[in-house]
Amino acid sequence: MVDLAPPDYCDPVIEVFKKDVDRTLLRENLKLSPEERLRKFESFAEYARELREAGQRARAAGKGHAG
Amino acid sequence: MPANFRDILPLLVRHGVRFIVVGGGAAIVHGSASLTYDVDIVYARDKENIRNLAAALQSYQPYLRGAPAGLPFRWDEQTIQAGLNFTLTTTLGDLDVLGEVAGGGTYERLLPFVQEIEAFGVRCYFVTLEKLIQLKRAAGRPKDLAVLAELQALLEERRKLESSRDPQDSGNESPG
Repeated sequence: MVDLAPPDYCDPVIEVFKKDVDRTLLRENLKLSPEERLRKFESFAEYARELREAGQRARAAGKGHAG
Repeated sequence: MPANFRDILPLLVRHGVRFIVVGGGAAIVHGSASLTYDVDIVYARDKENIRNLAAALQSYQPYLRGAPAGLPFRWDEQTIQAGLNFTLTTTLGDLDVLGEVAGGGTYERLLPFVQEIEAFGVRCYFVTLEKLIQLKRAAGRPKDLAVLAELQALLEERRKLESSRDPQDSGNESPG
């Protein structure tokens, strides 16, 4: 097995990216159980799907008007 | 389509497949706020498990994601035995079926680094947050840099939370 750095290894490149992490979202998620986190993901995924479909319908309707 | 944990995890458990959830699904159960589009699992490579894995997905039209249509791809024991890692589309959603992962090795090698978690009515193994960070780093993909940063921040937040709750017990993850 390869020898891997510990999970909290401080990589300067990762530290740059870490500044952009929204920790408030993580803190809210940590208040939930693992299953609740999965269900929250599902709700968000469903919302994202509905938004995408609404966008597709709007684009299709726009094309219809133009033609 | 975002990852379909609700259908895929119970399906695999019902068919007796031995697997560990890695990737975005594991990140989410540990508290990640990221969206993921596929379910990633590491499966055991013994004959019985390969047979169960083949049977579990048989009815869901597994096909190689991104491959041209019409290839003579068959999802069966022989194909799984001859290959190792498969990135699949199925009628339930995208699923990465991995015999081995960089930095983590096989199912058996990953087993000491899992948490058993109940989700959607079944209990399954998810790789720990600490191991997930190591796997992401080992994969070495530029697209994972932001993910790695989030996972490390998550580890820091979890440790802060644990030490504020009980300074004597900072090694265990919050049950939620």
